[in-house]
Amino acid sequence: MLQAIEVSYRLPEGQEILRAIDFQLGRGEKVVLLGANGTGKSTLLKVLNGLLPPTTGTVSYDGRVVDRAALREAAFHQRFRREVVLLFQNPDTMLFNPSVFDEIAFGPRQLGLDDVDKRVHHWAGELGVVPLLERTPFGLSGGEKQRVCLAALLILEPKVLLLDEPTANMDPRSTGWLVDFLADINQTTLVTTHNLSLAGEFGDRCLVLGEDHRLIFDGPIQDFLGDQDRLAAANLVHRHRHRHGATEHSHFHTHDWD
Amino acid sequence: MKDRLLLLGYAIAVVAATSVHNPWWLAGGLLVVAALAGRQAPTIGWRALRAVLFFNLVISIGYAAGALFGQAVSLDYLILVNTRVYLLIFLTFSLASKIDILRALSFSRNLSYLVTLVLSQIIPFRRLFEDLRLAAESRRLRRLRLRERYLQSAAAAVHLFDRAEHDAREIALAMRSRGFFQPEATDNAPGD
Repeated sequence: MLQAIEVSYRLPEGQEILRAIDFQLGRGEKVVLLGANGTGKSTLLKVLNGLLPPTTGTVSYDGRVVDRAALREAAFHQRFRREVVLLFQNPDTMLFNPSVFDEIAFGPRQLGLDDVDKRVHHWAGELGVVPLLERTPFGLSGGEKQRVCLAALLILEPKVLLLDEPTANMDPRSTGWLVDFLADINQTTLVTTHNLSLAGEFGDRCLVLGEDHRLIFDGPIQDFLGDQDRLAAANLVHRHRHRHGATEHSHFHTHDWD
Repeated sequence: MKDRLLLLGYAIAVVAATSVHNPWWLAGGLLVVAALAGRQAPTIGWRALRAVLFFNLVISIGYAAGALFGQAVSLDYLILVNTRVYLLIFLTFSLASKIDILRALSFSRNLSYLVTLVLSQIIPFRRLFEDLRLAAESRRLRRLRLRERYLQSAAAAVHLFDRAEHDAREIALAMRSRGFFQPEATDNAPGD
């Protein structure tokens, strides 16, 4: 459905962020993208969303190459932006409407749909933000903003959800809610995280970006999470000394960082 | 030393460009700066033109519109203002990449701190600005109306301003915590 073919991305200053990334997301598949800080997870999502053009390689959606020429076509642009949506890591970057209602209605209004009010109330209900509809998005908590952003994306009824660290701004209760919510939806999802205890909840397959910016693993998530050497090679676990009573020893830990 | 001399030259040139009120002298100065820029002159000239075009047009049209209301309009003044702004921007663009500002200001510890702080904030802000732009693009399904574009830009500006204010406060606290802002020495001991 969404495919990256030998995708590399280099910053204008020359720094390489992604190297020859190759994978495919199937319809309805739930995939987790893991990687230490700075490995290029967010950049990969932006490339997949057609926001950053790969330096080499291609991204294709439903067999059609997603490049500048394709996105200049109004029909493809609208279809792609409606069907493949990206939740940014910092929800503040996505919120610019005067009220939560307007924020959620932004997509349907662009499409000229006539039942905007009904749709907004439906998705606000799904995401538990009905009491916030009249409020200003900027005044909300991190978790509430994240829910509003999700409602604003899901109202478009997308086919592919690209979620960049969706739990990063959430408290434990909201995190638990999001895990359950994502488990219940049918869309193809690609979720980035470095929270290993949650990674297994977001999908069955995982892609891992190494510190050399290459894809170093693509397979069942339990295989990766159970492989200490691979986790260490990806810099997703750390070793430190600690005490058990009088004895002190050191081994790998999978502490979560957010 | 080279950086310090270049910075000093830049400061003198800026003062001169703002003190001279003859457009021909300013045009001459522009030619000198362009000659010093060498082969890069056309690129810098084009960048400077793009940077000043909107601002200069608004100012010039606003000034010229004054004629409609009976205000005396001087063509010489219009040429003077436009030439001066263009010269200053050209000068800044041509010297900005040549001066290592940290080295140039190394004679003053406080100025060095200040510049380091500014530079350390530019990179995260560039990233944030890029994210705001990409998020807006990601949610755009069709060509946006003027009001929608205005809302996006205003929200982005507010977010950037809030972030700058928050970061400035955090940096000030961090600097205070590291003893940067030393209290004035007084004769009174605490508790006196």
